Amino acid sequence: MALVHLKFSFDGIPGASIPREWSHSGVVGSGDMEVLLTRREQNGRVNVTVCTPVSGFDRVWELVLRRFVAESGCGDLELEINDNNATPFVVGLRLRQALLEARGGEI
Amino acid sequence: MQEMSTQTWNALRCDTAERLNAAAEILGDGKIVAAKDVTRLLEAVIHPGDKVNLEGNNQKQADFLAERLCRVNPKKVHGLHMVQSSIALDSHIKLFEKGIAEKIDFSYAGPQAGKLADAIQSGKVRLGDIHTYLELFGRYFIDLIPRVALVAAYQADRDGNLYTGSNTEDTPVIVEATKFKQGIVIAQVNEIVERVPRVDIPADWVDFVVPSPKPFYLEPLFTRDPALITESQILRAMMALKGIYAEYGVQTVNHGIGFDTAAIELLLPTYGEELGLKGKICSAFALNPHPTLIPAIESGWVKNIHCFGGELGMEQYVRERSDVFFIGPDGSPRSNRTYAQIAGHYAVDMFIGGTLQIDEDGNSSTATARRIAGFGGAPNMGCDPKGRRHASPAWLQCGEENGQREALVGRMPRGKRLVVQLQETFREKMAPGFVERLDAWNLMENAGLSIPPVMIYGDDLTHIVTEEGIAYLHRCRSIEERRAAIRAVAGFTPVGLKANPSETRLLRDRGIVKTPRDLGIDPARASRGLLAAQNVRDLVRWSGGLYQPPGKFKNW
Amino acid sequence: MRYSELQRKSFLEATARERAIGLTDEGSFTELAGPRDRMMSPHLPILGEAVSFDDGVVTGVGLVGEHPVFVISQEGKFIGGAVGEVHGAKMAGIFRLALTAYDHAAQEHPHDLERYRPAVVVSFETGGVRLHEANAGLLAHAEIMDLIQDTKGKVPVISLIGSKVGCFGGMGFVAAATDVILMSPQGRLGLTGPEVIEQEIGKEEFDASDKSLISRTTGGKHKYIMCDCNELVEDRIGAFRDALCGLLNRPYSSLCRCRRIGSYELVREQMALVRLAAQLNPSDSKDIWRYYGNAEPDLIPEMEVKEFLKTAHRRPREVE
Repeated sequence: MALVHLKFSFDGIPGASIPREWSHSGVVGSGDMEVLLTRREQNGRVNVTVCTPVSGFDRVWELVLRRFVAESGCGDLELEINDNNATPFVVGLRLRQALLEARGGEI
Repeated sequence: MQEMSTQTWNALRCDTAERLNAAAEILGDGKIVAAKDVTRLLEAVIHPGDKVNLEGNNQKQADFLAERLCRVNPKKVHGLHMVQSSIALDSHIKLFEKGIAEKIDFSYAGPQAGKLADAIQSGKVRLGDIHTYLELFGRYFIDLIPRVALVAAYQADRDGNLYTGSNTEDTPVIVEATKFKQGIVIAQVNEIVERVPRVDIPADWVDFVVPSPKPFYLEPLFTRDPALITESQILRAMMALKGIYAEYGVQTVNHGIGFDTAAIELLLPTYGEELGLKGKICSAFALNPHPTLIPAIESGWVKNIHCFGGELGMEQYVRERSDVFFIGPDGSPRSNRTYAQIAGHYAVDMFIGGTLQIDEDGNSSTATARRIAGFGGAPNMGCDPKGRRHASPAWLQCGEENGQREALVGRMPRGKRLVVQLQETFREKMAPGFVERLDAWNLMENAGLSIPPVMIYGDDLTHIVTEEGIAYLHRCRSIEERRAAIRAVAGFTPVGLKANPSETRLLRDRGIVKTPRDLGIDPARASRGLLAAQNVRDLVRWSGGLYQPPGKFKNW
Repeated sequence: MRYSELQRKSFLEATARERAIGLTDEGSFTELAGPRDRMMSPHLPILGEAVSFDDGVVTGVGLVGEHPVFVISQEGKFIGGAVGEVHGAKMAGIFRLALTAYDHAAQEHPHDLERYRPAVVVSFETGGVRLHEANAGLLAHAEIMDLIQDTKGKVPVISLIGSKVGCFGGMGFVAAATDVILMSPQGRLGLTGPEVIEQEIGKEEFDASDKSLISRTTGGKHKYIMCDCNELVEDRIGAFRDALCGLLNRPYSSLCRCRRIGSYELVREQMALVRLAAQLNPSDSKDIWRYYGNAEPDLIPEMEVKEFLKTAHRRPREVE
């Protein structure tokens, strides 16, 4: 019943963080999620915590997040995710949007 | 004059005459029967064990007659074998619970799918089989001939001529199968008029007409609110337009029901225009009057549309667009489902729609373990009809690419129809869209079916579109290759996790799998701003006020 | 998203944060108790329900001209915008800040208070109490009601209603108690939500699947005709902002006259409406629209805002 808390850590690119200290994006609607990005110098590492009501998808989260880190070329970040049943597609999309927004790009 | 020989060739006709006499004894002469007398009429003309057709499909319903049939005395009328397109109303299940009916042959069970599964498991319903519409219509003339048919029409005149208007749907096929085999036809009508606008069913094929206290129930089944279309659906729609419609120049199409195809319809005037596809694709449809097609029609994309039925709220719009839709001399469409099904089966180059589950071999089904939803017409649209077919550029190109053609027909040129499924790798609540074993297998066991209720078989399927990519399955040379292509677009589902990256790379090199990037599509562009209409109100604006959505969809 | 784009964006489709930023002057909005403070519900995790860093409400302060504007903006996508403990506390906190700001303004600008007077703006999107933490949610409602009374004579409280969920349940009472209500036609305002009415009294009384009926009964146009909402604007953030700027340019006393409850005379006016309802026994809002002089009520739902405002006849107010 209780919420599931997952932690992941990936190798990212040193220095490829976000310009501001932190950035927030997304809404925890049904089938959606929010993410809080925080800049942190840590040799490029990207640490992610996920808080979700859905259990049994640890491996899927890991793969989705790993792909995001690799494809987006980010690094030196903490990501905190509050999820409410977002599909892997939505997770990938929201993370890309969040990074773009944090870097000052237009959505 | 009675024939007196021992061998009789008109037993059915005699039996019918007896039943009609029994009715006349109770109700007197005349075709018009008051609502209060209907139960007694049904008890007089229906005998135990009869095959009875109760009209109703996924749109109009002979709901009043269904409700009255539930009120007959089960001691007098029982053991009926129902043959009908859909199981949609509570009364359809109640017939079995009350012991009036015991067996059913049908096509589609939308909202009653769960109750039907329960009733079959508890032994209240004996299932004949689940059909496609065309198949069921065919069997009405072979081995499921209705003895009595209960149908619905908008209007009747005093002679019994029926006007079925834009919701003619199944009425002609049911009435013809019944009446020409000496059966009895009873019609519920919304009103009796002096003169019907058009005779859809001639009076001498109709035995009784019942003015119904309420207009027949009509479900706006094909209306999709653009406000609910997601970015994922828009991405798949973009991929389908560029990677399939444009790639094959598909001109004649049937769209399945759902938000995926609604997204495609709403992208034609925007993304389709940008790709320069106007005139090159989608000029003709076998399709219900989808409100989401209005922007494409208004932008001049569509030459003609033939409909299976009507759609609530679209009547006036359809009427005012007689260059596009099929409109009778009286000014309203007819929408004969049989013809539209034939057109969708044989005359269009592509079926494209969504499903619930696809297995590793490409078989797909909307069945779940506890629901018997049936299929309607989808399996007829969603297949490559065997046998001879006219050649069209899209069909020829797809056949040209067919990796197994030589193994099957040697060097003989043969085209292939495009059968496309749009599928998000995960649906809501993280239900995987690709599975190792379809739920249809469990349903087969639970419901005692002889085979799993598959909607589209893997060997008919030519393309799968997911947010991960398009699999061009027909280009594969073997089932192993097809499986690899399916895995490659199945994302992070249990099936997708088995994909081997180097194998996928090879399939991409050969054009069997194309990712959004291979197609030159930036997923970040998949935003709701691309839709030609954002909500139902926008659709009304596009239609110049001619589309009048029902209250359920009208939030103003 | 650029500020100019935000102004053009549909208020209905906008998130709570977009509304908060777009309603105040460009670059002036500062979020308080925002996502980074991670003030989340302590109750939802135990129930296995998803949580949000802002607990479904964006709170902060910005400027409209010289006025400090204290903003509460609810997010309907998170548990229907329902008010739980943290969500409610954040709302109450904003009212308190506004009252403190008023004291400062009164001290600093005693002769120019009209120009510097703070305001509270609530962009409602909620069904009221969050059932998962109902006691805390109910208490929050009472606290906010109390605080609204404290604002009287000091700080105008302005309700903006034009989001998907509408404003129902206890928060419908709260909105009614504010000074001014702005709505778009897409806005919905009521006490008992449509689904609850259907569930309690039956589909014959109220068919909650009939969205058009819901709009006619609780929507912006109806509320405008009934004078339950003071102004009707188009569904754009910029349109709400323009109306808000217009209000804040008016003397405070004129905003106080927008209230529909809060005095003996206003209560009498409301009671007269109850008698009228019993006497007319309307079967649909259209009957009342006609009663107030709208000869073709069928056309009203179809009208764009401009045309509607030009032609609509409203209920005459008894108390000016």
